[in-house]
Amino acid sequence: MPALLAIATRNVFRNRRRTFITAAALVVGIFAVVSIRGVLNGLQGAIIASTVKGMTGGFQVHRAGYLANVLSPPLTLDFALDDPSLAGLAKLPGVTAVAPRIMFGGSLSVPKEKEEDTPEPLFFMATAVDPTLEPQVCPDRAGLMSAGSRFDEAHLLVGEAMLGTLDAKLGDEAVLLAPDRDGALNGELSHVGGALKSVMPGELKVAQVPLAAAQRLLRMEGRATELAVAVKDLAQVPSLVAQARALLGPTYEVHAWDDVATDRRTFMQRQNAISALVSVVFLLLMLLGVANTMLMSVLERTREVGTMMAVGVTRAQVLLLFLLEALSLGVVGVAGGLALGTTFVAALGAKGLTVTPPSATVALTLYPSSSPAFLVVVAALALLGCAVFSLYPALRASRLRPVEALAGR
Amino acid sequence: MSLIKLQGITKAYQLGKTQVPALKGIDLAVERGEFAVVMGPSGSGKTTLLNIIGLLDRADAGSYLLDGEELAGRDFNEMAGLRNKKIGFIFQSFNLIPVLNVIENIEFPCLLRREDKKLLRARVERVAEHVGLSHVLAHKPDELSGGQRQRVAIARALVTEPEIVLADEPTANLDSATSEQILDLMQRLNADSGVTFLFSTHDPRVMRRAKRVVQIADGRLVDGQDAAAANVAVLGAPPH
Repeated sequence: MPALLAIATRNVFRNRRRTFITAAALVVGIFAVVSIRGVLNGLQGAIIASTVKGMTGGFQVHRAGYLANVLSPPLTLDFALDDPSLAGLAKLPGVTAVAPRIMFGGSLSVPKEKEEDTPEPLFFMATAVDPTLEPQVCPDRAGLMSAGSRFDEAHLLVGEAMLGTLDAKLGDEAVLLAPDRDGALNGELSHVGGALKSVMPGELKVAQVPLAAAQRLLRMEGRATELAVAVKDLAQVPSLVAQARALLGPTYEVHAWDDVATDRRTFMQRQNAISALVSVVFLLLMLLGVANTMLMSVLERTREVGTMMAVGVTRAQVLLLFLLEALSLGVVGVAGGLALGTTFVAALGAKGLTVTPPSATVALTLYPSSSPAFLVVVAALALLGCAVFSLYPALRASRLRPVEALAGR
Repeated sequence: MSLIKLQGITKAYQLGKTQVPALKGIDLAVERGEFAVVMGPSGSGKTTLLNIIGLLDRADAGSYLLDGEELAGRDFNEMAGLRNKKIGFIFQSFNLIPVLNVIENIEFPCLLRREDKKLLRARVERVAEHVGLSHVLAHKPDELSGGQRQRVAIARALVTEPEIVLADEPTANLDSATSEQILDLMQRLNADSGVTFLFSTHDPRVMRRAKRVVQIADGRLVDGQDAAAANVAVLGAPPH
């Protein structure tokens, strides 16, 4: 084995130009795979941070069955904020803050002096939040407010697109209309406090309403439909969710942030699938290069294989020799690609990368990073691929008859 | 007991749709310590015969006893093991492994049988010294002359202490002076250590030195004759 390994590694550098080209293809391919994944890690890290700190919190509590009806938030599945069973939630170790919310749908109009100038009311989905407690759970919400906006008991925020359609400006009166939990339509007067920027595509008809105003509008004083819970460390979420479930019993349901923001989870899963597909294509192209190099090597060294067989090398040893050669080539290319890729990703991660997703108005700063587990998987797959793709040339060499191999046939 | 005993060996090659017979029933015995030559015109079957004796190819029919052991029907790995232990090869084109230096080329067959490298190294250096390669042990084959390369091949063939060394046209790629030196070396090894040599050659210099010449023509052995008679037949009477 050591003798075969010595021959294999030396053979890799025998045709330096060919080895360089094949190894360079491996380096470029691995570099691309590591870089794409690294940038995606940064993007998904930013999406998760903006989701947790700007929308969901670490986990959420609702009345049982609430999320199943999430397309039309049921106000009847609400709860009293002074329910004693909720008191222990804030005391769970790792929980840093709890904020009540009401999700509801309604319409908004901004009346003008002349009735004919008043635009048609717009339907929207609103999140009613407590202006004092909410920043403790979702501090990034403040970053979603456009410059000069205000959000307090008397002011609400609307999506940028809605603001334009309603021809509204800061301080304008805003009339909210919404059916309460009994289905009766109620109204509430508030004021336009400013615009909400959009982080993800599709967040156009949204509003953020002060909780007290929403409770009056919906006849839900002292009640809410959602508790958003902030945690110290996202890694603790699964354990905290389990503890909260045990604490609250079957009346309530507890969901981690990614079970609530399923659209973002799906978005990231699609990104992962596309990145995996691209990586596989890169990997296949690289490995075809390795297979070609190994086939050329076998064809050029038929006599040498014959000589080795003449002095007693077995078929298995010939197979092993060419597999070791392919693996040596793979190690060179994979090591080079990983080194280059992780260095590039680390450099981007140190500096940060600011991007604005299409249809969004909030820029995200990504911090690309490489996960050691991913690097191990990429290296293992690339090396395994080198072995698999060189199997045909290696088998071809091992099946030569000594007499034919010595004659170069 | 003969070292090699062939009986009724036949071999045919398929060329397109035609079967071309290469050996048509060879009976041959080679004794230990022989320095023998198989000679014959091109296409007579001498290389095929050497390939079968060297277990590089299989006979279609017949019996092959090596050191009293029947070899017909052995699988590839068994044949590889037997080649490694009992047979040394010297080729016309030297057939060294280009990425290994002299000492690594010589020790390679022994490493295949997992010999201890430290103990082996001493033996390899002794063999290398014996064939006159002590000063080029670290050289790669492409840094050696033709004669030196053939010496490496001889050392590689001998280091496993085989029963027989098969040499296929060993002087064909060497100049006259180097050929004589290589033949001197092989003759000395045959005389000193009793290693059996079997050559396939056209080279009259080899035939002159052979103790026995086996003639093959059209896939059949010509009636056995001693070396002197064959030499006279092939080369004419030696000069007085």
